[in-house]
Amino acid sequence: MSRLEAKKPPLFISEPLTKDAVCQSLLLLSRIFKSSYGPAGRLKQLHNGVGGCVCTTSQSSALLRHLSVSNPVLRVLTASVQNHVSRCSDCGLFTAILCCSLIENFRSLNVAPCTVIKITRHLLSLCMDYLKSEACGCRVSVDFSSVETLVCLTNAVLGKCVIIPVKGRRVMDSTVLPGLLIETPEIQLGKPLAVKRTGSNMIKIALFCVSMSGDSFSPEEGTIAVRHGISLEMSELNQLLNVGKQLVSDGVGLVVCQKVIHPSLKQYLKENHVMAVDRAGLSLMEPLSRMTGSKPIASIHSLSPGCYGSLKDVSIERVASKRFVHLIPGDTVICSLILCNRSETAWDELKRVCETAEHVLQLTMKEPLALLGGGCTETHLASYIRYKSSSLSTSTFQDLGCSQTQYQLVADGFCRSLESVARSLNHDGGEILTDMVYGHCWFVPSGLPPVSDWSDVVSKCGCGINGNTEDLSWRILEGQSCSPVIQGCPKEPSVKVTDFLTLDCFAAKCSGLQVAVETANLVLDLSYVIEDQN
Amino acid sequence: MAFRDVNARRHIGLQQLSSLASTGRAFLGPMKSHKFIVDETTNQSTLICSAVRLIESLDLTSAAGQLLNETIQAQNKEFKTGLSTLLFLVGAWSSAVVECLQQNVPVSAIVSVMSEGLNSCCERVQCLQISIHDVRKELCSSRVRPNAFECKACQVGCDSLLNPQDLLYFHKCISEPEVISISCCSHQEDDCHFKKGLVSPLVGFVSSASLVKPEGDRSSSVIPGSGVIASSCIKQKLTHSRHFRTLGKSHFSGQQGNFQEYLLKPSADPCECSDLGHLAMALSHGNQTDVKLLQSIVEYQQERAECRGSAQLNITEIVTCSLLGLPESYSCVSQGFVTLVSPEQAKVIKHFKDKSLQILLVDGDLTEQYRHLGFNRPHNVRTVLEHPNLEGGRAGDTWLSRMLDILVTFEVNLVLVKGSVCKNLLDRCTASRILVISPVPRDVLCAFGEVTGAQPVTYLSQLNPSCAGNGAQVELWEASDGRVMDLGELVPVRINVRGIPLLTAVLTTAVASKVQLLEDQFWTSVYRLHHALKDGKVFPGGGAVELLCLSHIQVLTEQPVRPAKAGKEFPSPWLDTPVAEYKSLVLQALASGWKRYLSVVMCNIAKAPSELEARALVDHHLKKAVDCGSPSAYILELFRRGDVLGGGSSPFADHGEGLKVYDNVAAKTEAWRRALDLVLLVLQTDAEIITGPKRNELLNSPVSSEFLFL
Repeated sequence: MSRLEAKKPPLFISEPLTKDAVCQSLLLLSRIFKSSYGPAGRLKQLHNGVGGCVCTTSQSSALLRHLSVSNPVLRVLTASVQNHVSRCSDCGLFTAILCCSLIENFRSLNVAPCTVIKITRHLLSLCMDYLKSEACGCRVSVDFSSVETLVCLTNAVLGKCVIIPVKGRRVMDSTVLPGLLIETPEIQLGKPLAVKRTGSNMIKIALFCVSMSGDSFSPEEGTIAVRHGISLEMSELNQLLNVGKQLVSDGVGLVVCQKVIHPSLKQYLKENHVMAVDRAGLSLMEPLSRMTGSKPIASIHSLSPGCYGSLKDVSIERVASKRFVHLIPGDTVICSLILCNRSETAWDELKRVCETAEHVLQLTMKEPLALLGGGCTETHLASYIRYKSSSLSTSTFQDLGCSQTQYQLVADGFCRSLESVARSLNHDGGEILTDMVYGHCWFVPSGLPPVSDWSDVVSKCGCGINGNTEDLSWRILEGQSCSPVIQGCPKEPSVKVTDFLTLDCFAAKCSGLQVAVETANLVLDLSYVIEDQN
Repeated sequence: MAFRDVNARRHIGLQQLSSLASTGRAFLGPMKSHKFIVDETTNQSTLICSAVRLIESLDLTSAAGQLLNETIQAQNKEFKTGLSTLLFLVGAWSSAVVECLQQNVPVSAIVSVMSEGLNSCCERVQCLQISIHDVRKELCSSRVRPNAFECKACQVGCDSLLNPQDLLYFHKCISEPEVISISCCSHQEDDCHFKKGLVSPLVGFVSSASLVKPEGDRSSSVIPGSGVIASSCIKQKLTHSRHFRTLGKSHFSGQQGNFQEYLLKPSADPCECSDLGHLAMALSHGNQTDVKLLQSIVEYQQERAECRGSAQLNITEIVTCSLLGLPESYSCVSQGFVTLVSPEQAKVIKHFKDKSLQILLVDGDLTEQYRHLGFNRPHNVRTVLEHPNLEGGRAGDTWLSRMLDILVTFEVNLVLVKGSVCKNLLDRCTASRILVISPVPRDVLCAFGEVTGAQPVTYLSQLNPSCAGNGAQVELWEASDGRVMDLGELVPVRINVRGIPLLTAVLTTAVASKVQLLEDQFWTSVYRLHHALKDGKVFPGGGAVELLCLSHIQVLTEQPVRPAKAGKEFPSPWLDTPVAEYKSLVLQALASGWKRYLSVVMCNIAKAPSELEARALVDHHLKKAVDCGSPSAYILELFRRGDVLGGGSSPFADHGEGLKVYDNVAAKTEAWRRALDLVLLVLQTDAEIITGPKRNELLNSPVSSEFLFL
């Protein structure tokens, strides 16, 4: 007899944002994100504490993947940031910091959440309209025409660059090779490769995505009864050898298999001067098929001559202690990036950076715009919102169903949140300034003697577009007090410096802004958490 | 998730690094002290003498420890040397960086100044590099200087160690008996006798007969004891290289057989033949046994290289075989593959005497159940037996007899198996006089495949006439003096094929706990020579490079900060830290790593009574180097005199001027870079986040107050 236990009632938690534990966790999360932000951001060591591998990172994607957040309110936050990162790769920490900051700032406001939400939506639309308008002062267009060859290359490489890991080497040893590399630890160096060629001196290649290890007779479900003395393995092997015979008679010079090739088949192919490379891996199949023009063969029962592709050459490449078969195509559509770094943990981080960079380049090619980086877009946008919100008509407030004071309060919180993202770039002490003309972000390093005039200590703004050439009436970017509103819209820098600017991806940052505001709205709107306790 | 702040001022991660690294101090320099690692739970202890083995036995669950382990392993995988340097510098730089933090130096300033400083030093020390070509010339010219005193030294060595029993005793007392024979002639100026002294005493004695013999003359009588004296008399006629060649021969002389041709052939160029051996010695920093082995390897490979046209040391053609029960002086190099077999198999070998064997290579296991990697065993296939055959016996037997049939049909006598072998099959094969050896490393299979024409197979069923090779020979392995091997259960055998590039370094020891240690030491010596040849250049050793780094840092400190250069590399003002005011402080931190390195080395080799005095000595030499105007020239001159840090700081200075010590270029600079990379990586980390089940454990532990939980 079994005893039935009564179901526990679900647990209701009202106003989750007022709970201490939630606030503490939010603060901790925000602290982790802020301290990791920017080029000088501090790294985090993520590990299981029992000798597992250590992930050293300051990238949002890796942080969020490893952080185990149990609180449902925070899970809303991390899930939306993760979603943003999976779409845009970049600006994950920007999104996370802004979102945390918005929640913190609005939580303490004495304004009803629904009003806050309405106002922030309005503020967001102001921001987005501005960013998308020609008048936007923190946006630059990316001119790819001056780098035509680069464009050709990136056009070709984008999405088709395969990263090959080589650890224990200097980063500077990293290179790009045309074609693809397949790791083959067992291949012998120094022996000339005898690969059969076709009449046009090309190598005919067959690409298999099905396992050729000789075990595919095993049914998924059900049982096969076999009479004693009959070996399924043998019949399967015979089938494979028949495939081999056909490959040989079709003049194939190279067989690449995603999975394993049976040793007997390998032996047969080798005896017939056909090179066999197995365990190419799933990730290589798509670029391999694109590069060689071959159709991956998914069954060993049917081989059509139309499946074969062609290749210009094959060689053996040695990088550090690894051996690769290098497949060289006729045209360099596909590249392999051999990415080196000394340590495992630093390699992983470098790979994430490369992938992000590649994705950002892709997004920028689609929409050739960039936003000024180094905190300048955030402070500029804050200045713009401060200016704009002070000059709104009363009808706007009526439409939003709020008072002007309420609007000002929320707008100030919104601007302070943006500015706090810029402030998070600073990790070594020192001051963060903003100017009253362009609304850019300026950094004064710590350890300098106190000065009466900021112009003595600043040299360049965060993004590098403005120099210390005119009096820009700097002020300290503070977190708390209501900042003075600048007279008029923040200006667009007159001189366009194009060298060494720090830029952010337009698409990623716009998306991050939207995700942050909408997620903050969602979290603010939570009035109950219902937890199933069973 | 548990979150721990590393505490910016007293960085926990860096402190962990420096305390972990401090355990490896004794391994720095040529005079390493051994350590016993005792497992408190089992009371078992291990004898270690290298940073890798140390790190393997430490508790490294902290993130910093884990990263340190990764760094050490990476260096070990590539170089097998520079590990104690790496470990020590990690510690020294960690504590130096913590001191910087306590003086409020911003992290970004430490990172940029230190990495630029190291880059600059690595560039600077390039001027000290000596090309292998020059080193070989120098070693060639300095070695043919006969010395009347040397015989004394050697004789002392021989006399005192005539009896192998004594030697055994000797080994038990002192781990490096060779050192004693060297120190007999500490006041001598010539390095020849020193090299002589390198020859471990027993072998020196055993081979004395061949020492006196002119090349090729095998009829001279062996006069124990007198051989050495005689050798010094005719030494002027014998080139030093020959001297080493004869030594090399002596390792093989005990092996009666027909594979000795290569050893008896006089070398084409007497100058070329053993100077790599000299280089090996200069790189080995006093590890004599291995030098002797390396010389044999180098000779053999060089002779082959003349055909192949490469001057590299091929590591894949070297394997080791450790024999427990013989004194260390029996260590030698044998052509082919030496391995241990059971006494039953050894009996089979007696039938193989002088026979050319048919060989088969198997690159998997030799069991019925074995399938190649990637083959998934079917779960739901049922075999139905319709007509039970009672006489058929068990299924396994049919496989056994089938396999045996295949081997017999193809007349295979010798099977080398990469994986394991089914016990029954092994016994049946032995009974049928087929020798099955396992496990055999991949490189060995390849080497046999290359010379015999055998193609490795995964299953015996793959066998066709083209798979088997022939020309293999098997014999019982014998020590150089023909001493009977009584090693208990297992018997060493040697498998050989004429012309095989493969060499086995047979490492003998009477002390079980030294097996691993000797193997590690041997590989370190091999890799040092390998990398020296690969780099094509070496550094002068004995602290020369570090001393130049120290002097270069003084120059850097006085240089003004390069303005605006950072702009190109770091477009962001966020990374543009005011470096100027912290520069000298941070550079001092960088320098303190090498300074501590030098002083600890000097303490370890007893050149200074305390670290403090050693440091003063380093400062003294640094000042002299700087004062003379050209530190690199000054240091090179010191090195030329064989005495970089004064007071005879070279570990061999006692044994006369001129014994040069060299260091590997890439291994050394890579060790520096890896060490600094690790320290800076940990420095830039501000938190440790522990995920997974360990979190709850921490929540309820006494250290929970250090953590924040999410």
